[in-house]
Amino acid sequence: MVVALVLLVLAVLLGLLVGPVQIAPVKLLTLWSADQDMDGRVLELIRLPRVLLAALVGACLASCGAVMQGLFRNPLADPSLIGVSSGASVGASCVIFFGGFGFLGSGLGLPAIAIGAFLGGMAATAVVYRLATSVTGTSVSTMLLAGIAITALAGAVTSLFSFFADNEMLRRISLWQMGNLDSANWHRVMVIAAVVIPLVLVLPREGRALNAMLLGESEARHLGIGVEQLKRRLIVLTALGVGVAVAVSGVVAFVGLIVPHLVRLLIGPDHRYLIPGSALLGAVLLLLADTGARTLMSPAELPTGVITALLGAPFFVALLLRQRRDLVS
Amino acid sequence: MLEAQGLSFSIAGFSLLREIDLRVEPGKVTAIIGPNGAGKTSLLRLLTGEQRPTAGNIALSGQPLGDWSPTQLASVMAVLPQSSRLDFPFTAREVVMMGRIPHATGLVRDTAIVDAALAAVDGSYLDKRFYTHMSGGEKQRVQLARVLAQIWEPVADHARVLILDEPTSSFDLAHQQLTIANMRSFAAQGVGVLVVIHDLNMAARCADQLLVLSCGRIAACGSPQQVLTATTIKQVFNVDVSIGINPLTGTPLVIA
Repeated sequence: MVVALVLLVLAVLLGLLVGPVQIAPVKLLTLWSADQDMDGRVLELIRLPRVLLAALVGACLASCGAVMQGLFRNPLADPSLIGVSSGASVGASCVIFFGGFGFLGSGLGLPAIAIGAFLGGMAATAVVYRLATSVTGTSVSTMLLAGIAITALAGAVTSLFSFFADNEMLRRISLWQMGNLDSANWHRVMVIAAVVIPLVLVLPREGRALNAMLLGESEARHLGIGVEQLKRRLIVLTALGVGVAVAVSGVVAFVGLIVPHLVRLLIGPDHRYLIPGSALLGAVLLLLADTGARTLMSPAELPTGVITALLGAPFFVALLLRQRRDLVS
Repeated sequence: MLEAQGLSFSIAGFSLLREIDLRVEPGKVTAIIGPNGAGKTSLLRLLTGEQRPTAGNIALSGQPLGDWSPTQLASVMAVLPQSSRLDFPFTAREVVMMGRIPHATGLVRDTAIVDAALAAVDGSYLDKRFYTHMSGGEKQRVQLARVLAQIWEPVADHARVLILDEPTSSFDLAHQQLTIANMRSFAAQGVGVLVVIHDLNMAARCADQLLVLSCGRIAACGSPQQVLTATTIKQVFNVDVSIGINPLTGTPLVIA
């Protein structure tokens, strides 16, 4: 845990100082002071919000991923399984396509696309949840299947928007889907911090109950866990967390899948440590990926989601191979 | 004492259990036997509160089962399901420790109980091993240790109940015997033990009371000597057997 905190501080410093403009560490002292030069202002108005946004989105996606993997009792689950990300894509492309929703976000200082994405994500999760819930409770396996179906449907709707969109809209839709942190500002940081910080503090409290859920639902019930309430609570919390993260940054792939995996390899599957550990490491990894996105092709900028997927996919394959070996031995 | 009266249960108009009366008495081992599909597991689901009966009442220590809060119930009743899947690399110790979730006895006490429970199932050597790397029998023993740890000591003088669904299905002979010994020693502490078991001779050896389920009804109930007769077994399992006496224990011995 201490190591992860140190890593986080280092990643924050790296993210602040490295970029198209290299900034000397001394300039950090001029943050929020009156006598700033150009570098100081870059630091305060551009770098710092962006770094904070990356850390918060990373922490949010990774801890929600850890919760989803526990809830679905499947180490390969990912927060987008419950349809949030694909629903958000529909919402975002709908706003881009039809435009003129400016009034939506004016209250929060957020662009209409973010609001559309958030609403789309919530709507999709609500549908998935309703489909999987009957009088006997919520079936996690039905939810998985419903999530896949809704994701496919949402993908088709997004494709339809893309098909009818003109070139400019098409570019915006596909850039949004790649996941990007380039529109970071203090407004966005505040909005996501208001959701993510309480979330990251609350989720580890469910750690013991989630551990029991891994034994099976009826086993958890026999250990005194209110299984249905737990499921409902966790689904609402993760949908909210992932919904906000996707709204401010687009679909950032693989962080929610890979980080909990990595932490499990390092410290084991106990959710009381897995969730905070994932939050820390998720923040570190997305910070590093975003710093890479800003600098690799500088002055041009790569979408952050492309970097996480480029790094994430091979890593995931390596994990799969490792797991296959474990199963055989 | 866990007591059920007039239990009936049906799903989608299909009747699984009819008019079951049952008492799981403190200090006694009650075994349920019966052919596949007789309703044994359904009966356990009702008795553990996992499903509600269509008709009838269940009471634990004189209080209706529905009045118990989940945590309260979990602190006095432990249930071992037929099979549990766990795909995450917990160590044996961590799995057994989950049995202490309903209690707030503190880490020191819990650690001592986990040690003792692992030792009771001959699982001390599994301590730091990963559940995902264990054999079927080892996994079943760790799960058994988990439910034993759950009701290891009495809570405020409440009657404790231990419910096991085919606990020995993947055990070798030595561990079958050890499981019988564990059930007997928990019963000796005043725990009411209810076990579903397929091996009639094992049932005869471990149980004070045998309950024969057939097609959702009680076909016979009583001591092993009363219940394990050639006529009852022919009637319920449709198998011709002869009954001897186990020279080691004096209990009935079913020879098929």
